[in-house]
Formats: sequence, C-alpha cells, structure tokens
Amino acid sequence: MILGLLASTLSLSIPLVLAALGGVMSVRSGVMALGLESMMLFGAFSAVVGSWFSGNAFVGLLCGILGGLVIGLAHALLSVRYKMNQVISGIGLNLLATAATTLFMQIIWNNKGSSATVASVDVTLSFLQNIPVLGEIFARQSILLPVTIAIAIVEWFVLFRTPFGLRLRFVGENPKAASSIGIPVHKMKYIGVAICGMLAGLGGAYLSIVSLDMFVRDMSASRGYIAVAIGILSRYNPVKAMLAGSLFGFCEAVQIYLQGYGVPSQLIQMIPYIVTLLVLVFGVRNIKPPAGVGAHEDD
Amino acid sequence: MIEKIEMIDIVKQFPLVRAVDHVSFSAYSGEIHSLLGENGAGKTCLMKILYGMMKPDEGQILVNGQPVSFHSPRDSIALGIGMVHQHFMLSPVMTVTENIIAGVEPRKNHIFIDMDKAVKDVQALIDRYHFSIDAKAFVQDLSVGEQQRVEILKALYRGARLLILDEPTAVLTPQEVDALFDIMRNLKASGTGIIIITHKLKETLAIADKISVLRQGKLITHRQDLGESTMDDLAEMMVGRDVELNVSSEGPVEGEVYFEVEHCSLTRNGLPVLKDVSFNIRKGEVLGIAGVEGNGQSELAEVLTGNIKADQLVMKKDGVEISGDSHSLMGQGIGHIPEDRLAMGLIVEKSISENLILGYHGRKRFCSHGVLDRKNINSFADSTIKKYGIKTPDGNQKAASLSGGNQQKIVVARVIEEEPDVLVVCQPTRGVDVGAMEFIHHQILGLRKAGKAVLLISADLDEVMNLSDRIAVMYEGKIVKTFDADKVSARELGLWMTGEGNES
Repeated sequence: MILGLLASTLSLSIPLVLAALGGVMSVRSGVMALGLESMMLFGAFSAVVGSWFSGNAFVGLLCGILGGLVIGLAHALLSVRYKMNQVISGIGLNLLATAATTLFMQIIWNNKGSSATVASVDVTLSFLQNIPVLGEIFARQSILLPVTIAIAIVEWFVLFRTPFGLRLRFVGENPKAASSIGIPVHKMKYIGVAICGMLAGLGGAYLSIVSLDMFVRDMSASRGYIAVAIGILSRYNPVKAMLAGSLFGFCEAVQIYLQGYGVPSQLIQMIPYIVTLLVLVFGVRNIKPPAGVGAHEDD
Repeated sequence: MIEKIEMIDIVKQFPLVRAVDHVSFSAYSGEIHSLLGENGAGKTCLMKILYGMMKPDEGQILVNGQPVSFHSPRDSIALGIGMVHQHFMLSPVMTVTENIIAGVEPRKNHIFIDMDKAVKDVQALIDRYHFSIDAKAFVQDLSVGEQQRVEILKALYRGARLLILDEPTAVLTPQEVDALFDIMRNLKASGTGIIIITHKLKETLAIADKISVLRQGKLITHRQDLGESTMDDLAEMMVGRDVELNVSSEGPVEGEVYFEVEHCSLTRNGLPVLKDVSFNIRKGEVLGIAGVEGNGQSELAEVLTGNIKADQLVMKKDGVEISGDSHSLMGQGIGHIPEDRLAMGLIVEKSISENLILGYHGRKRFCSHGVLDRKNINSFADSTIKKYGIKTPDGNQKAASLSGGNQQKIVVARVIEEEPDVLVVCQPTRGVDVGAMEFIHHQILGLRKAGKAVLLISADLDEVMNLSDRIAVMYEGKIVKTFDADKVSARELGLWMTGEGNES
C-alpha cells in the first residue's frame, strides 16, 4: 500500500510540478503566474487535438506545449506590452480557457463533456520492473517523470548560474534597474512567461494524453492555482518546487486512496485544496515574491 | 576613451512642458561639473538623454567630436558613460557582485557565470577605491552610503570614464557626504569626468570645477570658474529672484512645556522599532528629530498621529492625556504633515479644493448637516490658493496636475490653516524647489511664533538645524541625545546619527 501510494504520488505530482516550474520562471521575471490554470487547460486540450489529428501522441505532446505557449504569449502581451493588471489578465485567461476549450470540443467532437479517445503517450520506465521495491514505484511511471526532474534541475542552473538567469531575476526584482543597465526588460519578461506557458502546457498535456487518453471539460481542476501555491512555498526555486509539488501530489494520492473507504467523496476531494489553503495561511508567512512583480520599467 | 562630451541644442518636449529647451552642454574628463537647478528644471531629463534612457526631440550628442546616437543605456555604457540614479537601481536581495556584474557577466564554458572571477574582480575594484565593502554581502545589509558606492562601482566595472551622479548627497549623512566627495576627487584625479546633478549650493561650491545652471528647461549660466561665486549668486540664478536661503528660528523659547510624550515603544514584525522614546516640546518651540532614515523617525510620527498603534505610549497636551486614532487626534489639535505626500497626504485624483479640506471636511465651516458646503469650500480654496501661491488656474483642477512643490503646499496649507496646537511635520520640503522650500519654512516658523509646539522630522540636516530650537537624534529607535540647536555642529550630529557619538 505504501509503495502504491508513493507511486501515485509521483505520477500525480508531475503535472503540478511542471506547472509550478513554469510559474517560477514567470514570477522570477516579474509576472504573476495566476494564468497557469488556463495554460494547463489549453495545453491539455491542444495535446488531445494534436494527437487526434495526427494520430501520434508525441505530436500531441508538442501541441500541448504550443497550446500553453499561446496562452503564455497572450498573458505576456496583456500584462507586459499593455501593462494590464496581472491578476485580472490571469483570471480573465482562466475563464476564457474554460469557455474556449468547451466550445472547440463541441465543434470538433460535438460533445461538451469530453473528447473522443486519442492516442496517448505510453512510454514508461518499464526497464526498472525487475528491481525490487524501486520497480514497484517507478516501473509504471511515464517517461515524463525523469523529464520533469531534468527540467527542474536545468531550470535551477539556468536561473542561478547563467547570465540569462541573473538578468531574468534582475528584471523580476527591479525592472527599472535592469532597464538602466541596458537589459531588455520586455524581452526577458516575454521569455519568462513563454517558458511558463510551455511548461504549464506540457503539464496539461500530461493530464490529457499521458495519464488519460482524452480531454474532459475543466480537467485541470484548479491544479493551476495549486501550482501557484507550490511556487510560493518553494520560494520560487525550481528544485524546491519539485519537492513542494510532491507534497501536493501526495495529498491527491491520499485523496484517491481514501475514496475506496466509504468516506463521502466530496469531503475527501477537498483535501488538496484544504492543504493549499493551510499552506498559504501558515506556510508562507515570510516568503516574499521578487520585489518587482507587477512593476514596469517606466513607472 | 572619453575626453569630451558635447550636447548641442538639445530639446525634449513632453505633452505639457518643454523639459529641455535648446540646451547646449559639455563635459570633460578629469573635471567635476555641477548641473544646478530646481526640481523640474530639466537636469535629470538632460542627463537621461545623455545616458540613453530618453531620446531628445532635437539636438545632437558628440563624443570626442564624433556624433553618436543612443538608443538605450547599453549604447552609452559601451562608450564609457555611467549614471548613478537618485533612487538606487539595485536589487536588495542580490549580492554586491551580482548587482555589479548583471548584464556584463564574466563567463566560463560560454554558458555559466564565472562567479569566482566575478567576485575576485569586484573585490579588487572595491579595494582599489578603498570602499571596504564585502563583494559577497547582500545589498540589503549595506548602509545607504555603501549602496551608493555599489552604484558607483557598477558604472566603473563597466569601464565608465564619465560618471553622472543624480542628487547623490540627498540621502547621505554629513560624514558620508565627505566620504563621497573624497571618492569623487579620487576619480577625478584618475581622469574620470563627473557630472553632479544637485540643487545644493554649498556642495556645489565645495566640489565643482564648473557649473551650469538650468531653469525651466533653459540653460541660464555656464561658469568655468567658481572663484567669485557665492551661494546667494547661485540661488538667484537657479530661482530667478532673490531667495532667503536660511530661514531660521529666532528668539528664545519662553513658553511652558506643552506637549509631552512618554515611554513610546513600538514593535513591528517582531523587531523593536521604537524603544522607550520620551520627549517634550514647549509652547513656541520647534523640536527637530535628526537621524539616518530607517531609525524609527517615520514610525514615531505615525504613532504620534494615531496612524499606527504603539505598544506603549502616553501623550499629554497641556497636561491632559490624549489618545485615539488619527481622526480623533486631529480633532484634539494634532496636525500632521506626512512624509510622503502621494501616499498619505493627498488623493491626487481629487481636486485641489477637496484635497485642501481632506480630513477636516467635517468642520462646521465646510459642512452643514452632513452635506458639504460647496460655496464655503470654494471660497476657502480660492483664498488659500492665493495665500500659498499654489500655481493653478483654479481649485477644480486635480491635485495630480500640480508639480511636487505645489502639491506639498496643499498639504502644508491644509494643516497650517487649521492652526493645530501641536504640529507633527515630516520631510516638509522633500522634492520641493528652493522657492517653495523658503515658503514652507516660513509657515512652520509662523506656527512657532503663534506659540504652537512643532515636532520636525527631516532627513535634510540643514533644515533641521535651521528651523529647530532643540534637536533630538534618533538612532536605532531611541533618542540617543538631545542638543540645543545653536550649540551643535552638523559633524557632531552626524556622529550621533550613525551611533558613533559619545559623551566625552
């Protein structure tokens, strides 16, 4: 049972961590990541569309990334170029994504609840299956598990060890200062938010064509918001985001596990959200986002 | 290598004002050039054009005789121009080294930042100028003076041969100003050209080789030689009329103790901000509070005016204990001119007349039976605008349409016209030009003459020394020493402000 719980913790953490990693890039560049929900949802939807029309699940993954990117760029356009309030832009996109995906689903599959089934990514870490214990936890995990871990580590190096990362963080901390030493503030923010969109889109694609093989209306189920909380809890550090994400993944796993025990499912399903609330209330007292979040270089 | 920079016939037009109006200006390596002018005279704008942060509408910039055009600071930095802004362009949560190298990082393997080399280079630069800063320290742990040095290093690291310093002394203690001037002289000796933007005349005379004076976007004077110049000369050039530079309090204080504060303590985020502060002010007395910003002065003002609740506080006016929130204290005769007019003093989206009665709008003369009396308010506004010389067509304009000095006059007028028994006034002339400064100082002294008690909190030491009868120095939330204003020097105050004072 413990091993099963661990295994599902891992697989449930992947989309949360991917989205949170995206959120970290966005916030580090000074743009709030409240639009994560829409990037995930649109990513999930685009992945199914890609897989449906091409018949190839990996094309689907790519489309998922692109779908997230589209929303990311829209968010960047609104909040960076047109200096719209980032909360409003994020929430607005979230509402738009729910409506748009439902509409397109109706157009493509003539169904408002779910899409047809499509080809899914079924590459797993099956080569581990003969190893005791580890095999039980890892053998059935998707290839996206190591990919996610790799992304987190690479992102950490990029943020904290490369000139690009230093400049991105500088933009996020103090856009005016960045601009005064000739760092192209808008470009950096666009890049940060674009990467955010792509990672969240990949996380969404995981939901629709890796752990499942179809799109279901509102399937991101507020994971984007949870990813925002993970970002905060991790102090916008990619490696810590991976750990914080696993905590929430664990809550989801427990929730699913307990559903088999006759506790009213509505109560059980509240667990991840209650944990999010508790974390936000008690866990993040002294965590400050980068000082320049929401600020512009010319105000 | 920059030898000579010329700006020829520069024009910068904003929607409503011409910030720079056909100005020609030149600077040379190895000399200190003071760019003098009141706020809004166009000094900073002119320099932002030179630094590539703004584009001129007309005119040309020549470096060593060659025309150049700057599209962003990147271009001017590449040619060896550096600028230290009035508001520091640093990230407090990053290290000194990170702040300095951002944008021009040394690399290893083409991908990664070579942090070891960066720290070594930065530390070498620090040591060369004897700045005694740790290259690995976080900027938030540095004093304001040290942060300014980081800004200077940032420019030097990028190979600046011409440094523009925008109001560099505004935030420094007298000792730090002396240290900065030493640094500037060192840089000059090593061939760096320096342009210092300032409206402080004393400092200009102390450090500058040449001066240029701007007024309302126009170049008024350029002087190669300061030999004969006096402060009064320069002030007149800046303002365009004769100015009384040092408005100061006169005559002894004879009133009895009127306003008393005892055992005022405040804790914020678990840290003590005010530690058992006690003082009293007599009738007709100005008590000045001197201190480096962030030592509890702002909080003291907010506690006394009821904007923050203290852990412990006994306040007495005329022997009677008073307490309450900000509104009720206003009713009990405590006037408050807050330090940040935009954050606390004004609602800039509202009209000037509305701002002139803000907080006092419930008074009988402005309001009857719960309805604002427009007629009285307007006549009050008109007469006040006239009396205080607020430059506006009429009282219906938004406060946002005014310059900083005129906005500050609104805040001052509102409180002074109410004739409070006790006035708590913070940074009364921050970001205000010399002319308005003179006027505001007269208003404060007018209250003193009328026998009111005034608590003056200001980061401008000259202001504190000129206006106060007594000066209390705050350091780390405590009043460490109180002086009679005519028996103390700026130097001695500076020592106490930095915790270096001693009783000997």
